[in-house]
Amino acid sequence: MTVRGTIFDIKRFAVHDGPGIRTSVFLKGCPLSCCWCHNPEGIASEIELWYNQRRCIRCAQCVTACPHRALRADPVEGPFIRIDRQRCQAHYACCQACPTGALEPVGQEMLLPDLMAEIEKDRLFYEMSGGGVTLTGGEPLNQPEFCLAILRSCKDCGISTAMETCLYTSQSILDSVIPHVDHFLVDIKLWETQMHRRYTGEDNTIILENFRYLAERHVQITVRIPLIKDITDTPDNLQAIERFVISLQRDIPIEKLSYNPLTPNKYPKLGKEFRCS
Amino acid sequence: MTERVKTLRHRTLTAPRYLSLEQARIITQVYQESPDIPVALKRAKALARALEEMPISIESEELIVGNRTPDVRGGVVFPEAGIRWLDEEIETLPTRGQDTFQVRQQDIRDFRSTILPYWRGRTLEDAVYSQYGPAIKDMEKVVKINQKDHAQGHICPHVKKWLHYGPVGLLEQARTKPAGVREEQEDFYQGVCLVLEGAICFMKRYADLARQRAQTESNEASSWNLRQVADVCHRLAEGPPGSFHEALQSVWFLFVILHMESNASSFSPGRMDQYLYPYYERDMRQGRLTDQTALELIELLWIKFNQIVYMRHAHSARYFAGFPIGFNVAVGGQTAEGQDATNALSYLFLKAQEHIGLPQPNLSARLHRDSPDDFVDACTRVIGLGSGMPQIFNDESIIPALTSQGIGHEDAMDYAVVGCVELTTQGNNLGWSDAAMFNLVKALELTLNNGRCMLTNRRMGLETGHLTDYESFADLEQAYGRQIRFFVKRMMQACEWIEEKHQEHLPTPFLSAVVDDCLDRGLDVTTGGAHYNLSGIQAIQVANVADSLAVLKQLVYEQQRVSRDELLAACRANFSGHEILQQICLHQVPKYGNDTEWVDQLGAQWLTYFADQLTAYSNYRGGPYHMGLYTVSAHVPMGQNVAATPDGRLSGSPLADGGMSPMYGRDRLGPTAVLRSVARAPLTRASNGTLLNMKFLPVFFQTLRGQKQFSALLKAFVRLGIHHVQFNVLRREDLLAARRNPEAYRGLTVRVAGYTAYFTELAEDLQDEIIARTTFGE
Repeated sequence: MTVRGTIFDIKRFAVHDGPGIRTSVFLKGCPLSCCWCHNPEGIASEIELWYNQRRCIRCAQCVTACPHRALRADPVEGPFIRIDRQRCQAHYACCQACPTGALEPVGQEMLLPDLMAEIEKDRLFYEMSGGGVTLTGGEPLNQPEFCLAILRSCKDCGISTAMETCLYTSQSILDSVIPHVDHFLVDIKLWETQMHRRYTGEDNTIILENFRYLAERHVQITVRIPLIKDITDTPDNLQAIERFVISLQRDIPIEKLSYNPLTPNKYPKLGKEFRCS
Repeated sequence: MTERVKTLRHRTLTAPRYLSLEQARIITQVYQESPDIPVALKRAKALARALEEMPISIESEELIVGNRTPDVRGGVVFPEAGIRWLDEEIETLPTRGQDTFQVRQQDIRDFRSTILPYWRGRTLEDAVYSQYGPAIKDMEKVVKINQKDHAQGHICPHVKKWLHYGPVGLLEQARTKPAGVREEQEDFYQGVCLVLEGAICFMKRYADLARQRAQTESNEASSWNLRQVADVCHRLAEGPPGSFHEALQSVWFLFVILHMESNASSFSPGRMDQYLYPYYERDMRQGRLTDQTALELIELLWIKFNQIVYMRHAHSARYFAGFPIGFNVAVGGQTAEGQDATNALSYLFLKAQEHIGLPQPNLSARLHRDSPDDFVDACTRVIGLGSGMPQIFNDESIIPALTSQGIGHEDAMDYAVVGCVELTTQGNNLGWSDAAMFNLVKALELTLNNGRCMLTNRRMGLETGHLTDYESFADLEQAYGRQIRFFVKRMMQACEWIEEKHQEHLPTPFLSAVVDDCLDRGLDVTTGGAHYNLSGIQAIQVANVADSLAVLKQLVYEQQRVSRDELLAACRANFSGHEILQQICLHQVPKYGNDTEWVDQLGAQWLTYFADQLTAYSNYRGGPYHMGLYTVSAHVPMGQNVAATPDGRLSGSPLADGGMSPMYGRDRLGPTAVLRSVARAPLTRASNGTLLNMKFLPVFFQTLRGQKQFSALLKAFVRLGIHHVQFNVLRREDLLAARRNPEAYRGLTVRVAGYTAYFTELAEDLQDEIIARTTFGE
């Protein structure tokens, strides 16, 4: 059986997710649910409906197309199309009817060979720049078989690999990918366990253990800390993470990522509320 | 930049520009005095007299001197080619919207009383229009015939030979013409001798003026400068240049005189880093030159390149704003043996561009697989500064394209660029690279509408049927092919007419002295004296053809989601009442520029078809026609002639820009996908040149990491086999335009925080923030 998985974006000419020119593959689904999540469309494992109001021309073709009457138009105020996500059966007849792509499914199931064909397209650019593929998400390790299959395929055909991960996974899964990843980009968000649980939904004990484990077995690691105002960007938190990383004595660089100001706009498109402002 | 360079740069940019009638008076006098001699001799005498009599001037700071008018940036009136437009526009030149010129009242009176009356009915333009005007106008919405009212320029003279022999040596060659020449050849050689004598006189006059000025100049430094200038000009009047300074001055004299002879766009110096290197190297070795003084001299020549402007009529000035004149300088590339040819001058020229940052010269860098990293990085750095230069050319694809047109290997290895992106060999080729533009999009419109224009309902093409008559996509393709053949045939006829009239009206003896094999054959370049005689036809515009055919193929014929009736009605109605269909056309069929092979191939296939049609013809000089894929900025006026198209484009709106670029806003997958789409075009067939525009933001170049990634992109471009790419590195004003017109800038990416996003998809306040941010960089 061919391996398949769910991805929600493929970004070519990615130039900030590892060395060189890269193709970033965004795998859908994440064990954490950080309240500030930059890619909220990557949290759920299943495919979701996305409504981009700016592209909508108010033709209401989607309303009549939906067999479950999950959509209605509100010409008076607010977003023109209102989605009843309880009723939605994910048939996406609305998306097919939408002439502009204002309604579209976020995420698609992809077979490994099809994904590899996409990745192969920019091979020349990887070779010229020392780039390659970066698996990101969501949390790529949330789809371990798919993730491993992509990494293996890349290595088999000589494409360099990177993975952006939160390391919230089992040690055996982590073990399985270590030999196939050239660069790890590890997100460490919060040092204090209670805070971590509060803002991401989960404990960070596993993460820190996995990080120690990884640091002993891999040389190319970069730590990335997202700077979230008054949550992760406090001196206490930043220093604690730095102390921890330094204590491992592996010369692991730390990058601080500025907050993505686009994030709040993404939530309404998914019918979600941004709870981190 | 030295103080001298700063001063002269500033003065060049701020000097008022005047219409200049001096040379027109001289030309008119000569023609009136000698009504019965052959036109080749009239032209030669007129140029010689201008070289002897035109008022000249020298600035005391100058080290490179010479101009074709006493003022800098004069708008020269050139009556032999055509002056109808000036009769209508002479009063409005100072106030028109673009590229204004001041006009002296006396000049207006003289123009109307002496110049205009003599030339009425005698110009190239008048000859073309009186004989062929209606036929040319008839096809103009599909085929735009060029060079109807001006000399055609677009040539790379044999600068190396000019430097080697100087006018004195060339004069000797012209005097010892081969035995047994015919009468018209006698005239040719006589004309060449006249203009070369004129050239020598011109140089002497500068030497004399400099010496006089040196004697009266009280400032010691200025006086010393002027004596230096006098010595340089004096030596050039007597023989070939011996030093780097003399070689640069000699190059400049050559181009001034070429412009005085033709007043045409795009006489291009070509590979200056190659032919000037021996002079540079010797002076450096002998301790007569330092890189600092060499750079100053180069920068002074760079400023000179901006002092000759080309006065166009108001309509043309809107599309060629800012007086582009096409001093195209190519750096880098390879030697005839295939070794990397980059040398110290290649880098100094880039440095001069970095410093001067003016529109001229049009600096082109030749890259190949083994271009040194240092050179690629130097190009990246200068591109990042945002002047749009250097533009990048690719030896790996261009050399095979040229040899496939019958160009010898060594000449192909030594190729240069004229004007914008037109490919040429150096010193032996009349490429006639802008013979015509063929609007393939309009031809498609006629195919859908039984040969009738959808805007006027006037019959233009063949009655091949309507879209509704074509039962299959193959039927449609067949009809499209017929329309193209119909117009190609007419275009070729018109191209011959134009060349015939150029031969009759605008022989160019001086140019012929510096283009092989004119002196050997005793033939003017316009008569076919050059070793290579090509003609270039531009196919316009692959992106819209591919996008439109993709809609027809997929939506109409394969999926049958839209009926032929409905799509035809929608195009005719400019999508009015068919807005939803327009959105479907725009968004639900893949577009050229997104690395979708079948769509890209639809465009590629028709370019191949078009190039095939050209091979059936040869031009008036006996050489081949070949295809180019560039419009410069003509995609705007050409789009005005085209009704709404099946790709969802509205009537009258611009076509895709450049030549190879995707339709603006339709490339969604970034630069790598664009480059891969473009690479699918049959570029070996596009030996006349191609143009691809790409936009980047300055911030991308602000880190070493970004610069390295950009250099890698250039290296990949070379390996993909695309002829040309140029980069807009956008600034604040571009971002403001993007905000006003987001549809046109959808592909524009910006660095926001730790990531890159599409600018137009950002919220307004964030756009504000980024606009404000980039201001700090300026």
